[in-house]
Amino acid sequence: MNNKNITFFLILLIATLSPKSFSFDGCDNKTSGHACIEITVNSQAGETLQDIVVYLEPMDGQVLAQSSKEVVIGQRGKSFTPYISVSQVNAQVNFTNQDDITHHIYSAGSDNKFSFKIRAGQTNNSTQFSHASEVAMGCNIHDWMSGYLLVLNTPYFAKTDKVGQVKFEVTQQGQYRVVVWHPQMQSKDHRMDKSVLIESDTNLIFTLDDDMADIPLQKSDDDFDFLSDY
Amino acid sequence: MIKRNFILSFFIFLITVTNIQTSKAVEYKAHGILDIRASSTDSLTKGYVAAGQGKFGSNDGQNLSIAQAGLELSAKWDNGFSVHGVLNGYFQGSGDDNDSALGLTEAYIKYKGLPNASGYRMQVKGGVFYPEISLENNAFAWASKDTLNSSTLNTWIGEEIRVLGSEFKVTRLGRLNDDDFDLSFSATAFTSNDPAGALLSWHGWTMSSRQTLWREAREFPWFPARNDGQDLAGQADKSKPFIELDDDIGFHIRTQWSLAHRGEFSVGFYDNKATPYKVIDGQYGWHTRFYHLGTIWHLSKNLSLTAQYLSGDTLMQSPYKKDVVNNDFASGFVSLSYKWQDVFDNKKHKSTLRLEDFSVTDNDNTWGDNNNEDGQAITINHNYRLTKHWFLLAEVNLIDSHRPARYYTHQSVDLIEKQFQLAARYFF
Repeated sequence: MNNKNITFFLILLIATLSPKSFSFDGCDNKTSGHACIEITVNSQAGETLQDIVVYLEPMDGQVLAQSSKEVVIGQRGKSFTPYISVSQVNAQVNFTNQDDITHHIYSAGSDNKFSFKIRAGQTNNSTQFSHASEVAMGCNIHDWMSGYLLVLNTPYFAKTDKVGQVKFEVTQQGQYRVVVWHPQMQSKDHRMDKSVLIESDTNLIFTLDDDMADIPLQKSDDDFDFLSDY
Repeated sequence: MIKRNFILSFFIFLITVTNIQTSKAVEYKAHGILDIRASSTDSLTKGYVAAGQGKFGSNDGQNLSIAQAGLELSAKWDNGFSVHGVLNGYFQGSGDDNDSALGLTEAYIKYKGLPNASGYRMQVKGGVFYPEISLENNAFAWASKDTLNSSTLNTWIGEEIRVLGSEFKVTRLGRLNDDDFDLSFSATAFTSNDPAGALLSWHGWTMSSRQTLWREAREFPWFPARNDGQDLAGQADKSKPFIELDDDIGFHIRTQWSLAHRGEFSVGFYDNKATPYKVIDGQYGWHTRFYHLGTIWHLSKNLSLTAQYLSGDTLMQSPYKKDVVNNDFASGFVSLSYKWQDVFDNKKHKSTLRLEDFSVTDNDNTWGDNNNEDGQAITINHNYRLTKHWFLLAEVNLIDSHRPARYYTHQSVDLIEKQFQLAARYFF
């Protein structure tokens, strides 16, 4: 065997031995026997809604794996990017400051209180999110910055795409609560839910009862770059 | 003396607390402005900075200067404590009455807490600082960002209003309360601003970018009541706005309502509580108090309105408690700034138009000291952002005023003064 073949063989060996990485959202490479649930979120007027969080909560005690999804909450252009992040409990959450100034990130909620300063270009992963919660984040230097982290007890979560859809490949059949959440949803606890028995491929449509509130604009009122912070 | 010691103790407490925290990460920053300026002034021979009756900072004629070299230094700890020092320098390039000065304008310690779960945030400040009044001078080192000359209202704040004190501020953040608006309230207790009002009375409202340095003495024009045997013979040649004469504590309170992305309204009240018949080394106490109103409102994506109004009174008496100077004063401006981003397809151009009205009403009968004044002013500025840090500005100011005191030095009581300025400003 020449060197090229050895390299190829080694790659093949590593690929075979490494554990199969499994993605919980999307059904593109669905394994037979798994069910695909497709959820669409529509506004009251019937238009599709993008970037709405959708997740599945097991109700029959199904034991689900830990999602390997990396959560990165960026600070870019003095705004939280993305505005909404979602993670599974105990997943590592990286805050990455892509601006050339310092931010002072905090969550004031009694449920998940934290704060740290993050200098230009740095990443901070010091905060552990060990229980399910809705974390409203701000910056104590730039008051207009506003972002959310939704911490969940399930690996089945995603944000709706351009056509207002998410798909999950469900490995364990049974009863699930399907929850739709967005901080600007004008309903109780900013959410809607439906309980469904998932045994085979399923489609589900959520139509909001009310219009969404405006998403806060993460932008300073003054675009002058050399303001003193009195 | 007890009260002064109290403020001093508080200051020492803050320094101590801050020092304890030095083990934590600290971030040092240096920001500032360099303003290189050419001006052409059509006014009286001497401007007010050189003890003349001219309303501009520079004398009649052409002038080249460093109109502001400002440096803002800070050390910020991760726990919310910070220490700030602001230095300003002014260097005139020509003329016999060189106004060149360099020194400290502010020095304070600040603690800014994190909002609690109900969205309330506390901030405490102690040291030498500007009470929060100006809506124009919010760039580094108290520079005015949209114009070269500040309004007459804020030129006065920069000249005579500064405190050694403690400010407590509480802000209620709307974001954490599902509201669109933020509310804040601040209260300041201070000393060392007892002679405030003297310069305003004796040279009237003026217009420049000059700030008085901490503990600096400023000149004012001659008038007959200063002659020997007259009521103001005991007044020193220069006024020191930032000294304490009677150990009484003054106060400033302010509240602000701001609506996200639309604008803000603020209202405040200042009272230096000076004893008006107290005099030490020719420096009198001037009991000065005023209220102020202000708004910044974004009328559209490109058009913003800034307006402020200030009105109050000042009283200075002889040691026998006879009124020597008793004035009411008022100044207000409306300013519109337009960003030309839709016309030029870039964010480099901005124009500002500012209209002002000001007055001083003399209520006493002191001979040889008429402080009455009535005037209007207009400012047009164009600001071009050359690079990220460099700005080129052109500005025209016109002041039309009636001031009887100019008669004392045989100058026109009614006067129109003009100034044209070009500036290259570097912010960092």
